[in-house]
Amino acid sequence: MQAVTLTINQQEVSGPPGQTILELARESGIAIPTLCHHALLSPLGGCRICIVENEANGALLASCVTAIAPGMIINTRSPRVQEHRRMILKMMLASHPDSCLVCDKGNRCELRQLAAELGIGLIELDRIPQAAVTEELNPFLVRDGSKCILCARCIRACQELVVVGALDYFGRGFKTKAATLFQAPLENSACTFCGTCVALCPTGALMEKEPLYRGSVGSAVESICPYCSCGCSISLEVKDNRVVRVMPGKDPGAPESLCVKGSYGCDFIHSPERLTVPLIREGEGFREASWKEALAVAAAALQGIRKDQGAESLAFFGSANCTNEENYLFQRFTRTVLRTNNLDNGSSLYYAAARRGFHEVVGFPTVTYPLGDLALADLIIVIGADPTASAPLVDYGIRRAVTAGGAKLIVIDPRETGLAFFAHRRLQPAVGTDLALLKAMAAVIIEENLTDREFIARKTENYRALLRSLEGFSLESAAAATGISAAQIVDAARLYATADKGAIVFGTGIMQQARGVEAVKALLNLALLTGHIWREGGGIWALLRECNAQGAGDMGMLPNFLPGRQDLQDPPARERFEARWRCTLPTAPGKGAAEMITAAEKGEIRGMIVAGENPAAAFPRSSRVKEALGGLDFLLVLDIFMTDTAGLADVILPAASFAEKEGAFTGLDGRVRQIRRAVDPPGECRPDWQIILELAAAMDHPLPFSSPGQIRKEIEDLIPFYRDEGSEVNLEGDAFWESGPDRKPPLKRFPAFTAIGDLLPPPAPNPDYPFILLAESTLFHAGSGSRSARSPRLSRFTPHYCFVKMNRADARRLALQSGDVVAIISENGRLTAVVSCDGALPEGVLSLPRSRIDHPLAALFSSPVEEDALSSALKKCYVRIERSGNDGSGAS
Amino acid sequence: MDREHHEMSRSRLEEIIEEHCRRGRWALIPLIQEIQEENGYIDPAVIPVIAEKLKIFPSAVQGVISFYAQLYTEPRGRNTIRLCRGTACHVRGGKTILKLIKERLDIEEGETTADLEYTLETVACLGVCALAPSMMINQQVFGRMNPKKVGQILKRKGEDHEPA
Ligand code: SF4
Ligand code: SF4
Ligand code: SF4
Ligand code: FES
Ligand code: FES
Repeated sequence: MQAVTLTINQQEVSGPPGQTILELARESGIAIPTLCHHALLSPLGGCRICIVENEANGALLASCVTAIAPGMIINTRSPRVQEHRRMILKMMLASHPDSCLVCDKGNRCELRQLAAELGIGLIELDRIPQAAVTEELNPFLVRDGSKCILCARCIRACQELVVVGALDYFGRGFKTKAATLFQAPLENSACTFCGTCVALCPTGALMEKEPLYRGSVGSAVESICPYCSCGCSISLEVKDNRVVRVMPGKDPGAPESLCVKGSYGCDFIHSPERLTVPLIREGEGFREASWKEALAVAAAALQGIRKDQGAESLAFFGSANCTNEENYLFQRFTRTVLRTNNLDNGSSLYYAAARRGFHEVVGFPTVTYPLGDLALADLIIVIGADPTASAPLVDYGIRRAVTAGGAKLIVIDPRETGLAFFAHRRLQPAVGTDLALLKAMAAVIIEENLTDREFIARKTENYRALLRSLEGFSLESAAAATGISAAQIVDAARLYATADKGAIVFGTGIMQQARGVEAVKALLNLALLTGHIWREGGGIWALLRECNAQGAGDMGMLPNFLPGRQDLQDPPARERFEARWRCTLPTAPGKGAAEMITAAEKGEIRGMIVAGENPAAAFPRSSRVKEALGGLDFLLVLDIFMTDTAGLADVILPAASFAEKEGAFTGLDGRVRQIRRAVDPPGECRPDWQIILELAAAMDHPLPFSSPGQIRKEIEDLIPFYRDEGSEVNLEGDAFWESGPDRKPPLKRFPAFTAIGDLLPPPAPNPDYPFILLAESTLFHAGSGSRSARSPRLSRFTPHYCFVKMNRADARRLALQSGDVVAIISENGRLTAVVSCDGALPEGVLSLPRSRIDHPLAALFSSPVEEDALSSALKKCYVRIERSGNDGSGAS
Repeated sequence: MDREHHEMSRSRLEEIIEEHCRRGRWALIPLIQEIQEENGYIDPAVIPVIAEKLKIFPSAVQGVISFYAQLYTEPRGRNTIRLCRGTACHVRGGKTILKLIKERLDIEEGETTADLEYTLETVACLGVCALAPSMMINQQVFGRMNPKKVGQILKRKGEDHEPA
């Protein structure tokens, strides 16, 4: 297409047809003020402040919505333009309260900046127009309609970026405002408190409530959100060594949206409950100690155990919340100093099955794709996942793909998840029957000849085994098992197979089931059958939880994988690390998270290090885990808070939070990004990497590092696909097949289809425990809650009792109604909860949102012996419900 | 149609929506109009149902309804009084007439009587300034209003005005 040429402020410029005057002007370094315009939002052309004059015909044009045309002679600052601009602004200010001096938006207010620029004086009065402030209970954001200029940035942000649609215009003329449905307070609306509207509001009409600091903030440090594995970039605004505000980061690729945890949940770092000095056990309690003493005690105890009982009696449970550098160090320390492979990280609690599934199919424990690829998909299957609560940025991406990109969405889940509203098809399989559904979909795709035959022939293995396993398989049996009609199954299979770019997003509902490994493989079967894999816009995303779940695995903080997703039992891989570390590595298969606890119970493991995890609260049957950990000869805990696990320790070392150290996190899409030190650690806290280095030295086995930078150097040397900071570790594209450019791990073999075994009839219902209880992620809570529950704002918004959601028919049968207090009883424990009737749950299924730390949901679950079974044990259990006379104040 | 009936059944609502859905999301306004025609007003409770069916955010459906003065989210009286507040009527005592009507019906401007007989509105000028002060009930104009006429014109329950 031919470029359009015109002049702007006497300068000849040209741009592609369709470009707006504003875009071209900005590209050419000419500033035009704007208010309602925002690069990420659809054009509105409402405020007219961006007005420019076309001197060719004297027209005044809103530059943000007017396309360039040949021959235009644009003047962006003619006297006429300036006069109009001033008038527009004066009109806005006329209905604006004169409270700029005390407005918390301060210098960030674009209205005020503009007034200064155009030389319009503000009448400096300090009256606050209280009347317009909407009284709301939420601790996150506050609305003041009197400062609203109706630019609709909030409305568009909410509808287009996070696609929640909590706000829209309400009313006409002078009475117009941005309102929620029924003009309800935000807490009773669809609002998720993501803070995007606050970040985009140009005035003080939308602001964070209870700001920790009033006024303009001097410095901002770019970092990464410490909560979930979406890996949002955040900007930590610092004043007087405190993080006073968190705003969306400046990462160019990132849409300016976070979720409530990123926007408002980072206040845990200044919690008064932070540990600040090393503690050594003394009787039932702890005494404060110097670092030197605490490290010496720990080193001696660990050395003693290794000497007397052997290295295999030691274990290290590390954290998916620690940095890559730290995880790398943890595993190197465990393998070369403790000399055992008994190491794991918290993400294995739900992800172990998926790692095995991936490993067996593609040869790597994980596969990643850029999150942005979702926008390219034309069909998305979301199965066993509720990204709205567990991975908000993925949720926004899916919503945008559907509403803006026109993608079709199939949601498969027994529950009504947050994405149900957007789904074109909703399949609700009976709990635990996904495998039957996936097997049936594969059968339909093959039966109807919808496979990508060339892809299968050239790039996969084991197709025959899959075909054989499907012989005699009947669609009707799958329909009967799942409760989904054969027609619906066929329809879903066709949609996926005939899509141009089909994406699959799966979550804990798939990974955490008894046959989780097979379920993951069954999903991979579908992708391999249709070629929707390693293809832009087509791929499989596993929703990980913690901010560095991906990185912890990539760094080899797994019992049977070395750094770089390398198999521990693969001799060439092992040799490379042995050469670098100048030692021989232990080869005995390591114990993973679940086995460690069982081994501790049996007395096989005698000493443990737990860094940044809280197994005593997070593992099933917590009482048993507590006993096991309490019975160790020595337990060393590194943490920022006094968790249940820390309470059992012999030595506790106070760690630095993410805002107090350097390092990198790898998001679920494989992007490796830096966190940066924004404030000093409180008290004597030290970063985990430093603590482990000092511990290694105290054990007379110093490791050759003194900074995260040096550790990163070694990571880059040994893991090719981590060579580039900010790089995307992804396996897409054909290059992968020929082991291509450096950053992509070479494929050792072609991915293999998996024969999916026969479907077992569902277990006979146990009349004593007639209900299936599902654990559910919630937006305001992360992991076992050690951080989110200590975030003043997040914790205030979580109810102080725990809820159990129940189908209305079930409730009626038990003569219960919303608000009643009940006891939930499983074979392993009991929990008090408040009933909340929920029309969307199937009968016989209860759903319990994970919430505060004092509601140990895990107590209900039974503890498995096997590693793969661990994750399933934390998702689902059988319970009965009894009316309780209790006051519902929490766990019994 | 039974004009007393202000509660629309869920199934009837869904029927109307189904008919319109075939025309895509831009059918929103005709859809809302039809609901209002049939029901007399748009019960806010139907907003989420419409939103779900048309896949439009409920807040956006509400935004559209709130934009048009002719769309009502509250029940309307069987009869609409439109009292003139134009200049001519004002100087000839229109304000007193308004006060009297408000007192008699025990409602404010924009409100509807509890028995759903009357909705009271004011308008800028009815265009019959010669008859000031004036008002309309449904389609019928009443000119040269005085306090006595207010009592005579506002009917007791059961008596009908000329229909709207
Ligand atoms: S609240 Fe802020 S973003 Fe929303 S319309 Fe008003 S000024 Fe614009
Ligand atoms: S906080 Fe987020 S969800 Fe709530 S209104 Fe603002 S943009 Fe919408
Ligand atoms: S989506 Fe995840 S990474 Fe992003 S702000 Fe929320 S918790 Fe943080
Ligand atoms: S910025 Fe162009 S019209 Fe508002
Ligand atoms: S002013 Fe009342 S009819 Fe014109």
